[in-house]
Amino acid sequence: MSTVLDPKIPAGPLKEKWDNYKNTIKLVNPANKRKHTVLVVGTGLAGGSAAASLAELGYNVKSFCIQDSPRRAHSIAAQGGINAAKNYPNDGDTIWRLFYDTIKGGDYRSREANVYRLAQVSNNIIDQCVAQGVPFAREYGGLLDNRSFGGAQVSRTFYAKGQTGQQLLLGAYQAMSRQIGAGNIEMFSRREMLDLVVVDGKARGIITRNLVTGEYERHVGDAVLLCTGGYGNVYYLSTNAKNSNVTAAWRCHKRGAYFANPCYTQIHPTCIPVSGDYQSKLTLMSESLRNDGRVWVPKKQGDTRRPQDIPEEDRDYYLERKYPSFGNLVPRDVASRNAKMATDEGRGVGETGLAVYLDFKDSINRLGRDTIEARYGNLFEMYERITGENPYEVPMRIFPAVHYTMGGLWVDYELQSTVPGLFVLGEANFSDHGANRLGASALMQGLADGYFVIPYTLGNYIANQSLPDVSTDADAFGEAESAADARIQKLLSVNGNKTVMEFHRELGRIIWDQVGMSRTAGGLRQAIDQVSALKEEFWQNVCVPGEPTTYNKNLEFAGRVADFLELGELMARDALSREESCGGHFREEYQTPEGEALRNDDEFTHVSAWEHTASGHVLHKENLDFENVQLTTRSYK
Amino acid sequence: MAHSMNITLKVWRQAGPDAQGGFETYSVPDANEHMSFLELLDVLNEQLIKEGKEPVEFDHDCREGICGSCGVVIDGVAHGPQQRTACCQLHMRHYKDGDTIVIEPWRAEGFPIIKDLVVDRQAFDRIIAAGGYVSVNTGAAQDANSIPIPKDDADLAMDYATCIGCGACVAACPNASASLFTAAKIAQLSLLPQGAPERTMRVTNMVDQMAKEGFGDCSNHAECEAVCPKGISISAIATMRREYMKAMRG
Amino acid sequence: MRLSTLLNSPIGKKLITGITGLGLTFFVLMHMVGNLSMFSGDDAYNEYAHFLASLGPLLYAVEAGLVLFFLAHAVNGFKIWIGKRKARPQAYAVYKSAGGPSMQSSSSRSMIITGIILLVFLVFHLISFKFGPGGPGNADASYLTTVNGVEMRDLARLVREKFALSWYTFGYTAIMLLLVAHLRHGVWSALQSLGAMRPSLSALIHTIGGLLGLGIGLGFIVMPLAIYFGLI
Repeated sequence: MSTVLDPKIPAGPLKEKWDNYKNTIKLVNPANKRKHTVLVVGTGLAGGSAAASLAELGYNVKSFCIQDSPRRAHSIAAQGGINAAKNYPNDGDTIWRLFYDTIKGGDYRSREANVYRLAQVSNNIIDQCVAQGVPFAREYGGLLDNRSFGGAQVSRTFYAKGQTGQQLLLGAYQAMSRQIGAGNIEMFSRREMLDLVVVDGKARGIITRNLVTGEYERHVGDAVLLCTGGYGNVYYLSTNAKNSNVTAAWRCHKRGAYFANPCYTQIHPTCIPVSGDYQSKLTLMSESLRNDGRVWVPKKQGDTRRPQDIPEEDRDYYLERKYPSFGNLVPRDVASRNAKMATDEGRGVGETGLAVYLDFKDSINRLGRDTIEARYGNLFEMYERITGENPYEVPMRIFPAVHYTMGGLWVDYELQSTVPGLFVLGEANFSDHGANRLGASALMQGLADGYFVIPYTLGNYIANQSLPDVSTDADAFGEAESAADARIQKLLSVNGNKTVMEFHRELGRIIWDQVGMSRTAGGLRQAIDQVSALKEEFWQNVCVPGEPTTYNKNLEFAGRVADFLELGELMARDALSREESCGGHFREEYQTPEGEALRNDDEFTHVSAWEHTASGHVLHKENLDFENVQLTTRSYK
Repeated sequence: MAHSMNITLKVWRQAGPDAQGGFETYSVPDANEHMSFLELLDVLNEQLIKEGKEPVEFDHDCREGICGSCGVVIDGVAHGPQQRTACCQLHMRHYKDGDTIVIEPWRAEGFPIIKDLVVDRQAFDRIIAAGGYVSVNTGAAQDANSIPIPKDDADLAMDYATCIGCGACVAACPNASASLFTAAKIAQLSLLPQGAPERTMRVTNMVDQMAKEGFGDCSNHAECEAVCPKGISISAIATMRREYMKAMRG
Repeated sequence: MRLSTLLNSPIGKKLITGITGLGLTFFVLMHMVGNLSMFSGDDAYNEYAHFLASLGPLLYAVEAGLVLFFLAHAVNGFKIWIGKRKARPQAYAVYKSAGGPSMQSSSSRSMIITGIILLVFLVFHLISFKFGPGGPGNADASYLTTVNGVEMRDLARLVREKFALSWYTFGYTAIMLLLVAHLRHGVWSALQSLGAMRPSLSALIHTIGGLLGLGIGLGFIVMPLAIYFGLI
């Protein structure tokens, strides 16, 4: 039965909620913290920062990651930067403004109290990272440099070359390493979480599989922190790392955690296009390229001339034409959708026809090649390394690609899911970005959750619970482990004709076509049928050779694709039920006469949270109350 | 159009840490120039799976040269022929139809083989855990701009901090030394005032841990710098030595 | 405690190898310059040798220091080599240098071999000359001469005899070429080991190290060849 969820937002004015919360929570006695074991799954920005901070406080932490080292979590690949309301440039930034921009950027589909807290702690994050030795860019005076990012009107983005995510992650990793060295964190790498163990209605443990030996391991804890990232790989091709997956989150979902807004995905407009069927992943290039590059396609369909042979009058600079005031700098969702429209019209470029040009010729003529090289040299090099083409001579070819998922497990203000004791942090939760995430906000959220939110909210949970000892021999552990093993055995025993990659690719194609940049009711219904049929076929016809007892990556991937197949269907259902367009979710039926997203605030100012039941998914809602901001329509004309 | 290439691969196969390994030869008839090197291995693995054989295991994750998961020795060179490029970003346009490519795992006592081309690099984590950090608890930091750092120092620290921990330095070093990896972290933190109070402990503990892990000593071949996907300079190693000598002086 | 930690650490080992290496480089440089006095005539050469021998206790101290340096250098060289063998028990089937910033060369890879040969040569060399006819413990009146009224060992005669032999001359020349190879990597490596390297100077110091090695080697080679071919 459908219910209305309570996010447990603290009382008081927006600006005082977090302080009020901190003032009134129960604390765990320092001497008792050691007696509490916390299981932290994932070691990205959220998991790494949480594990380190909790171990520093004295909790007994066990940390898990699927990679061979906690330093390799996919947060490492974030390029651009991290936002904070420091207002060092004195250009008018405030905590309120960062809050407001984030709410508006999310197209009014996020929770005010969470976003405000995020903006509040943003400054502490920068302080913390600098103290750890993160080498942010600096000015000649020795102070920190800021830049404007993603069309923001203020310079609030801190960065470390084009490797900000790497440096922030290494900061968290080093803080974790210090605690590992001190014996406060026990690190389990090359482990995959295969189930959540719920005892007496509370999350009390996890089942992991040792990816080297295939052994199952049972871990008991007083709370489980899920920090396992997003599910962008449901599209097969995305900018996510190959190991990024939804499995841990999905198993929690099946144990009672509601999945919120799965249809909110972000498609980044400036990625290197697909070159062939063998393509395994997509590479993102910083959207700063749009500051000086002009996006165009030929006016005529099927124009196969080389770009340099197409005269000005035969080119369509469609973003400049349609959005004269923002031009090439329209937000990500708008830029992506327009690229898709151009290629759908048969005006795409390159061998596959699935690309548009990003042309620097005018900027090079105006500013000189040296200036362009100073600004984008490393990106141009990367482009040339991958494509073999020199972007100083011929226009870049770009195309949108999936790179972030705003949806995730539903959490309340305390980051607690609908399973007590299961907390979800970072991209894995549905969190603070609403229907569209702003550039340089993902790093901020991951670290806010891990460094500055969970240390308080977890303490409050533990202090308020009676947590009797649980043994790994408990029935719940045995049942969860048997279920995990049964799946693995099943995957190995099908012995069909199609590879895991073939299924994944097929799933990706369906989701990309129907639950991608623009969606229709008909297409979504079709996708539900197609995915469901594919799932059926998967369990009849997948081929997974090898042993369960040795390192077997293909077997790992098989389990993950099985979960993506279930998630894909839910994404389509969620997109179908949300009869409006907002942020990254564009339903063709709901658009303005100019072709822009049309929200339906009366009926859809809520979070859709899906419960998994034996008879299918049930939709619950959390109403979003906007007490502090006015809902407006975004316009970039 | 992309040219189709027939590539022969000689790949090291080893069933487990203690198993006897050896080379297997495979042919990939429909490689093409736009593929990345790892995509070539994907194509090979799809072939093998279709034949009911076990695919070749290799570590990989981000495939954009930053996570440090991937790394194999390609025709005798760690990460292959293109400098400053992890093998996930190496593209097949550097090869031609009919080429034979020999692929081996990182070979070092400190990096035991798990299976095929996958090795265990946890020794690197233990080196960092021995002191590759600044001891500051969450919440104990002062305002970020209260620690001014000269731009040149910050930029140089960033150059050292770009290490992705892939292990190519160890793999390529004739002595299987982990000096460049260890030194990059020490050099980064030695340039920053935040790292200063514990610099003595850091360098001694990290160097000791490096020795315990069974890596060889550095003989200044500088091969590590040549294969480093981030081009980290061996000046880091010189800095590490200076730091160590200072620490010994007390 | 600190000293023993230092000496056994990967950095200490290289530090000792570097310091002793530079010390020995200075020694061979001086030795080479001394050898060149042969070009000023046998008397000049003998006077130079006599001057060194007459230093007495000071010479013994220097000799003791040299022995210590050689031993420390050799022992550490072996330790590093054994460590390297242990650190990579299984060799690559195919291995090559990536080039570019790599300083790897036939010299850098063969330090242990050139080092061992030089060590064996050193013993042989000491037996031939220092402890040869007329040397300590090997009194021989026929190898005495008088220069400017002072009686002294006629080392020049011994040198001329040895370098009249073709196997000796060309063997010596070959070994000096190995010294060049050893110094080509050794000098630069020592400076890097001492932490004295700035990134911008790497290539320059590597070149200077190579030239210094080459200069020392050539300096050693010219005199024997000149004798052999009857030029002096």
